[in-house]
Amino acid sequence: MKSGMFGDIPVDVGVVYEGERIRKGEMHAELGGPDIKHKFELFRVKSPDKVEDGKIKVVGPEFKDMQEGSKLPFAIIVEASGKDLEEEMEGVFERRLHYFTNWVEGFMHLNQRNTIWCRVSKKSVQRGLTLEHLGKVIARLYHSECPIIEKVQVTFYTDPAEVEKLYSEALKIYDARDARARGLKDEDVDVFYGCTLCQSFAPTHVCVITPQRYANCGAIGWFDGRAAAKVDPKGPIYEVKIGECIDPLKGEWTGANESVKEKSLGEVKKVWLYTAFGYPHTSCGCFEAIAFYIPEVDGLGIVHRDFKGPAINGVPFSTMADSTAGGRQVDGFHGLSFEYMRSPKFLQADGGWYRIVWIPKEAKERVKDFIPPDVVDKIPTEEDVKSVEELKEFLKAHGHPIVEPSEHLKKLGVKGLKGVEAEVAATAEEAAPPTEVVTAPTITMPVSGVPGGMEFEIILKNAKIFAEKLIVRRIEKRKGGKE
Amino acid sequence: MSKTRIKFDELVTDLVKAKGLEFSVGRIIKEWEEEPGPTPMPDIGTFREWDHKLLTKYKPFYLPWCDLCCLCTFGKCDLSKGKRGACGLDMKAQLSRFVLLSCSIGAATHCGHARHMVEELIAKFGRDHPLDVGGENVYLEAPNIRLVTGIKPRTLADLEDVLDYCETEIVHLLSSCHTGQEGDNIDFESKVFHAGMIDHVSMEVADIAQISTYGFPKADPDAPLIEVGMGCIDKSKPVILVIGHNVPPAVEIADYMRNHGLEDSIEVCGICCTAIDLTRYSQKAKIVGPISFQLRFVRSGFADVIVVDEQCIRTDIVVEAQKVHAPLISTHYKNFQGLQDRTGDSVDDIVRDLVEGRVPGVAILDSEKAGEVAVRVATAIAPKRKKFKIVPEESAVIEEAKKCRKCYACVRVCPNTLPIPEALEEASKGNLQPLSELYESCVGCGRCEQEGICPAQIHPHTLIVGASKRRIAEEKHKMRAGRGAIQDVEIRRVGQPIVMGEIPGVVAFVGCANYPGTWKEVPIMASEFTKRRYIVCTTGCAAMSIGMYKDENGQSPYEAYPGAFEAGGLINCGSCVSNPHISGAAIKIASIFAKRKLRSNYEEIADYIHNRVGAVGVAWGAYSQKASSIASGFWRLGIPVIVGPHGSKYRRMLLGRKDDKEAWYVIDARTGKSAYAGPVPEHLFIAAETMEEAMVLIPKLCMRASDTTKGRAIKLNHYIDLHRRFFGELPDDVHLFVRTIADIPVTMKDEVMALLKEKGWEENENPNPDPTLLPRLVRAKSEG
Repeated sequence: MKSGMFGDIPVDVGVVYEGERIRKGEMHAELGGPDIKHKFELFRVKSPDKVEDGKIKVVGPEFKDMQEGSKLPFAIIVEASGKDLEEEMEGVFERRLHYFTNWVEGFMHLNQRNTIWCRVSKKSVQRGLTLEHLGKVIARLYHSECPIIEKVQVTFYTDPAEVEKLYSEALKIYDARDARARGLKDEDVDVFYGCTLCQSFAPTHVCVITPQRYANCGAIGWFDGRAAAKVDPKGPIYEVKIGECIDPLKGEWTGANESVKEKSLGEVKKVWLYTAFGYPHTSCGCFEAIAFYIPEVDGLGIVHRDFKGPAINGVPFSTMADSTAGGRQVDGFHGLSFEYMRSPKFLQADGGWYRIVWIPKEAKERVKDFIPPDVVDKIPTEEDVKSVEELKEFLKAHGHPIVEPSEHLKKLGVKGLKGVEAEVAATAEEAAPPTEVVTAPTITMPVSGVPGGMEFEIILKNAKIFAEKLIVRRIEKRKGGKE
Repeated sequence: MSKTRIKFDELVTDLVKAKGLEFSVGRIIKEWEEEPGPTPMPDIGTFREWDHKLLTKYKPFYLPWCDLCCLCTFGKCDLSKGKRGACGLDMKAQLSRFVLLSCSIGAATHCGHARHMVEELIAKFGRDHPLDVGGENVYLEAPNIRLVTGIKPRTLADLEDVLDYCETEIVHLLSSCHTGQEGDNIDFESKVFHAGMIDHVSMEVADIAQISTYGFPKADPDAPLIEVGMGCIDKSKPVILVIGHNVPPAVEIADYMRNHGLEDSIEVCGICCTAIDLTRYSQKAKIVGPISFQLRFVRSGFADVIVVDEQCIRTDIVVEAQKVHAPLISTHYKNFQGLQDRTGDSVDDIVRDLVEGRVPGVAILDSEKAGEVAVRVATAIAPKRKKFKIVPEESAVIEEAKKCRKCYACVRVCPNTLPIPEALEEASKGNLQPLSELYESCVGCGRCEQEGICPAQIHPHTLIVGASKRRIAEEKHKMRAGRGAIQDVEIRRVGQPIVMGEIPGVVAFVGCANYPGTWKEVPIMASEFTKRRYIVCTTGCAAMSIGMYKDENGQSPYEAYPGAFEAGGLINCGSCVSNPHISGAAIKIASIFAKRKLRSNYEEIADYIHNRVGAVGVAWGAYSQKASSIASGFWRLGIPVIVGPHGSKYRRMLLGRKDDKEAWYVIDARTGKSAYAGPVPEHLFIAAETMEEAMVLIPKLCMRASDTTKGRAIKLNHYIDLHRRFFGELPDDVHLFVRTIADIPVTMKDEVMALLKEKGWEENENPNPDPTLLPRLVRAKSEG
């Protein structure tokens, strides 16, 4: 007899089954999946009187009654209540279903919402696994992991007619949820969330998560942060009172500054959330992409982690990543997530997408729908241009806004491509004659014991000087420090 | 960069007048942007303090293998029961001295190998040949070299400076073992760590050099699948067998064949790391198997020519090769094997003498010449030899088995105490199954066949192989060719899942084939942890053993799991000298996530790794001195290593005491205050008695002080789950690893809570410190 919280479940339950794949030959039945139109999963927050804690209902055939090898429509509806539960957290809790169901030995769950694809194995069904057991596991795990869930009930639908009936309703709920999430602005909320999970590897890095800025890793949005902070108030994801807005364009808030300063132990004193310059958001190591400044055109390039080969500036991702990682604020090199590229506030203080002058094709495809239509075709990829010279030509030929910046961009301090070219021309004239000046390296020979002002000469005859090593060190001019 | 010389017949400046001035520079070293750290080219005393910190936490536990010391003519001295030797040394110091000696031999072997290789590659490719281990996806190309020496190597010649340093250190280490030098066991142990660190640098030199020049896969997750197993060898062709670790002669064999259109008409196969490295060069080459396959394969008579280079070669190889009339070519001055040095002779003469059997073998210290001779001899001799073998047919095995008197002399000399007499008894009745089953657990040492062991003159090892013919014919497997380094971008990609607790750790299966039982335990362990979404790395003989396994779908683990450094990935880095890619990955994490400076900043990086990076090494069949020095390189970085039961013969373990609360405090770098972090990782070096014990230790030793609650929860989940599976109950020390309620795995909450209650567990007030053992890393909170 098994013991523990799943003692009554005939199969094992544990995170070890998360990566379990059930192949066709091992499969008893497929629920949802690419061949089935009607399938979905939903998490709904209800009032306590509408939820009977621990109730599991199956509408339609159980596993054992399904024909071996069959494919069926499928729906999972989880209804929960709790005094701190909010409707806007539904999406966050819904995604836990993927993990909870996968942890059941012999049950596979892929994708989410109305794309779910599940399989149950012959072996587990033979051992007596039922949908009812699956429901019990789900309910217990919600209780165990999320103490703010006070009551929870689970209903499975495997009857095709029932699933079809509920399907369109589910789609409406997803749409409404998406509209709400997309519509939510920084201005609509009074708290942001901070995340220090990465401090286990990057001890000075702090993420600030707002409705319009995902965490760098791409894994935690504002709603996730809200749920996590409620579930574990002492945990590494916490509330940040936004305080006063100092600069809405750059994205500076007093509350964010204080929080970042506190959590980075003073290493980072202020943060501008919507720019790659000045006091940009820090980067740990796992950012999905980098925005990098290209001085020749006064624009920003984007390169993502999976892009092989050098970016348009001749530098590969790995090298640029090294320049920006480790919880530092680096002017002009900025680690970010794909989700942030989809935000209307994406680098808004720098001109947003109007400032982006190069992006790899694969990355562009992923965010294409979020690039303003009047610039989307003007941003070249690695297939269009191979060098900065070609880039300049492309931008000019396609009339990219960086060539002659609009009034809006000018206000943001953007010089534009023509501006840069004019400056270069002016500098070249000043520095006449235009031949390259070579400065000979000087060797200083400190001679001790020689009285000041006394002239001397050194005569070497048939001298042979042998240096075992000659170290050539580039002397870099230090950039001006931050305040 | 090569040497520079400037000569002025006459030079007149305001300051200087010179005639016949000559200015020459030995080497020009290009500096780079990274500031040098505090410890470039550390000597054997530099990290004493760091080592002592680790050795306080993980106290050496000695396992005397022998009570006597017989190293000098004062002795023999009996060191048992607290006695000291004539020189004053006690047992603890003597045993740690022995570990140092072993690790120094190991480090010297890799360093000597690297030196030989770099010299040969410079002669062939030039001093300025650029180093490239992974193109644009590898920014940190030589993490160990940069970390220890402070050198950023760009060309082959730059590696010479690194080796100069390593050689100096090894000389000092070895000299510390002389009578009347070091006397304290902990200081010996510190030197052991030093040997290990130098070993990783030396190995990195060797592998970077060969990857950059020979066009091996460059940090490629999709490195090709190559063939492994005795059943893959096409014996209808002339067969050349290469054994050892130094690949250049084998590369020359492959080149000669390619240049003469012989690639498809001759079979080249190998044993040990030369085989692994050859398949990184030519996918047509095949791997016979690990070191334990030497005797059985040579005796099978498949090989028409045997070419040996260095390390892990049977020292009776001349005798064994002669038994099957296969000429032997030694290509290395470290390994003449008593053969005549024919390097200066013409190829025609050498080929004639070998084909006609005038000499058993020759030494040829010129790789190119050795390559040509091997191919030409194989072609000419194969028809004559007709695969002459000394492995008996099944009927002869049955007859021989009848002679057994069950005296158990063979069992007494067998390192794995295999039940040979029982198997022979069955064989004598015509049932070869039990004898053939021993094949899987036989380490191939041949001790059971030595003169004077069996009174009935039975050759058990030979009979085991003879009874396993069908098994051998089925040995056709796939292994991913050694990919070399881990890409920087791969490390970035796993950062988030590690922090979120989706990847529970990195496990490295490394080392030799001196397994305590069946070799299948290694692939079983590796598969289990890939399934559990650990990142599993491997090298050397362990990598081969993993490849020789088939799952229920008939796939090798390399076919079943991706070759990328990711959750559930199975990464074959390559040969023994590829191990620094594994330590290097841990080193890179510190640079990539925390931007800690790597350059000559060893102590800080080791502290980072020890407290944060959940990595553990498993050397299930470690036998050699090299294996011990490789392990000690991991120890100094604070990475625990688990060995199989034979590993206890290394004479000491480094064990933590989980019941000693005082030992497990770290400094919280945020505040400077000390914080209890729990016994993580619990041990630095431990021998597991069984595979099951090792599998429970792996997730346990992946726990680190900086784990997020999500990370700790998943590590605990695997620890508890495996413990329950193998031992039927919850481990009784779970409470020591739960810092806060959020650490408890969600699927085990009830049982764990009950255990915590029983143990009187209390929540840790500071469950997530910024852990360090180095007071200088405390970050004073800056004001203003």
